[in-house]
Amino acid sequence: MECYLDNSATTQPTESVVRAMGDCMRTGYFNPSALYAPAVQVEKQLAACRELIAARLHADAKRVIFTSGGTEADNLAILSLLSDRRGGRVLFTVGEHPAVRVPCEYLRGHGFDVQEIPYDGAGLVRMDALEALMTPDTRLICVMQVNNETGAVMPIREIAALRDRLCPQALLHVDGVQGFMRLPIDLRALGVDSYALSGHKIHGPKGIGALVYGERVKLTARALGGGQEKNLRSGTENVPGILGLMEAIRSYPAENAMQANKMRLHDRLREIAGESFYVNGPQPDGPLAAPHILNCSLVPVRSETMIYALEADHVYVAAGSACSSHKQKVSTVLTAMQVPRRVAESALRFSLSPFTTAEQIDYAADCIARHFEMLKRYERR
Amino acid sequence: MRQLILIRYGEIYLKGLNRPYFMHALVERVKQAVRPFGGKVWLHDARIFVSDMTDMEACMTAVSKVFGVHSLCPAIEMDKADFNAICEKAAEMMQGLTGTFKVDARRSDKRYPMTSPEINMEAGGYILHHTEGLTVDIHKPEHVMNIEIRDHAYLYVKVIEAVGGMPVGTGGKATLLLSGGIDSPVAGYMIGKRGVEISAVHFHSYPYTSERAKEKVITLAKQLSEYCCGIRLYVVPFTEPQLTIHEKCPEEYGTLIMRRFMMRIAAKIAEKEGARALITGESIGQVASQTIEALCCTDAVAGMPVFRPLIGNDKIEIIRIAEKIGTYETSCLPYEDCCTVFTPRHPATHPKLDHVEKAESCLDIEGLVNACVEGAELLEV
Repeated sequence: MECYLDNSATTQPTESVVRAMGDCMRTGYFNPSALYAPAVQVEKQLAACRELIAARLHADAKRVIFTSGGTEADNLAILSLLSDRRGGRVLFTVGEHPAVRVPCEYLRGHGFDVQEIPYDGAGLVRMDALEALMTPDTRLICVMQVNNETGAVMPIREIAALRDRLCPQALLHVDGVQGFMRLPIDLRALGVDSYALSGHKIHGPKGIGALVYGERVKLTARALGGGQEKNLRSGTENVPGILGLMEAIRSYPAENAMQANKMRLHDRLREIAGESFYVNGPQPDGPLAAPHILNCSLVPVRSETMIYALEADHVYVAAGSACSSHKQKVSTVLTAMQVPRRVAESALRFSLSPFTTAEQIDYAADCIARHFEMLKRYERR
Repeated sequence: MRQLILIRYGEIYLKGLNRPYFMHALVERVKQAVRPFGGKVWLHDARIFVSDMTDMEACMTAVSKVFGVHSLCPAIEMDKADFNAICEKAAEMMQGLTGTFKVDARRSDKRYPMTSPEINMEAGGYILHHTEGLTVDIHKPEHVMNIEIRDHAYLYVKVIEAVGGMPVGTGGKATLLLSGGIDSPVAGYMIGKRGVEISAVHFHSYPYTSERAKEKVITLAKQLSEYCCGIRLYVVPFTEPQLTIHEKCPEEYGTLIMRRFMMRIAAKIAEKEGARALITGESIGQVASQTIEALCCTDAVAGMPVFRPLIGNDKIEIIRIAEKIGTYETSCLPYEDCCTVFTPRHPATHPKLDHVEKAESCLDIEGLVNACVEGAELLEV
């Protein structure tokens, strides 16, 4: 059996997504800017995808820009601030993905006062600290919908309300890469100004994402050329990617057992490790935990050791975040949560998909139980 | 007239009656290096020639890595009868160079109508009159136009330094303990340079070390094999001895006892390979297991000479060689190897052999060693 539990790193495109993209490349390959009828058809399909995304998020379909993925969408939203010559304050939460953190830090070198919003022990934004950080000259607040390492669901509604009270002109940018389709969100009702999403985290293809933005947002082009995407992102549209994304949204199972499977895994792991089991993040069965991510530690087995042991069983999980496998360090998110070092060094991130089955969860738990018995013999001194 | 590579060898000149043996070995090694480029290789008049290769540059790079080759020159071979044509070609080859030059003729065909000084003067005068920006300096010239009169005339200006040393296979066989760090590939290179055929042993502690760590060592072995004409790499499953040492032996002797196991296993593999010595990358005092006392303890179980060519080198000197031979970047990849995973906090730096022997006496040494040797995976790189 194969059990892929790293769906927050990427997902396997579904058959219907692969088919939609193949069809597009075989027969629907026309350039949407061309004048003849088949090109117009393609243009209509792009518009349909914008409609679909806008409907999911309660946003305006005219304000959906396709990008190469989440990173580009975040960069577009954040770096557009560079044209604001007033400077001012920029806030981002300490556990933001590098796609947000790094462009925010870039702003620091360009006349902005950039500050980190701290987390509490469960990995959630500390509202008292945020309140203290919000100044009238705050221009931008970046908050992820769901933390990619811990699955913590950020209190966007409360943050938006605080923004309205203390710095109403500040834009609120939400990185929705780990939340889109897995949790509902209403951008209009919440007062979110921009939202980044990615295709390959929801069984769509890699290389496609979108930035959805409101009327208050002034974007600056980051690629100049033929004027596509309202002159904000020139270059022929990634049509197969966009149609793959559309199919992924359409076929995403609204009703699924992710939460139940996550708790099934949680309960088994707690049973296996007993006192040595720690959850890193919000209470997994509570409303502040995303349904698809469980970050936990089985002390004293180090993350990478368990990951290498599980790969032989075709069980694939991540340590903290898949983006950092080439850098050996304890995750900044777990550090910000003040997770003790030996617990952090054992942290595993399980991320589920709507297609994960209870049998796969049981299989993974059996494998973990077997390895835990063997691997706990050795503890780093 | 044709282009070829003229190869010069160094130390083999010093050989007496057995020089043909070394020459034969060197020609064979050059043939091996040239094979991917389809060139012809022959020995004539104390020079090795390569012609008709598909890619001159790549072929020269490959030949410059053959131990025993002192230097090589991209040369023109032409008819020696037409001295005017020789002068014309020489002037053409000097075109574009500026500064001082001289002509250095060598006439091994003593029937040739001109003497070497005559050739120097005639060709030198011709070049001086048919090029711009060059003046003659016969004592310290910046460029030397070499004209060798043998069966044909050979002309060359550029001399590329090669690795030197002795042809692989003329110095017997030895087995290298290859870790994945910076030092051991350099140690292998240095002994290989003396004509020694190298086999290598790597200790893999899955799942404490990863597939990437193993791939890294395979890459290092490949890089080394460009010089060493192929390496037989044994990957030894080393988890069981490490765990057993960790559980049963005093912590401060952990690394040392582990090193003694490595020596025993490597020596057994060396015997299988017909190798008469081991090679390590150790350097005095670099880490706790590399004090003189510790080295005495590891040597005690090797049962054959242990060559440590880096014993007196500083890290910075070792890095310089690693950069030169192209292994440094690979060595710096961050994947843990078995030595670092199980490092004790306070290793013994001045161990006494009888204490170490006593500390490991509780282990089934022969059983553990044999299991490792039998479980070793052989890769030919």
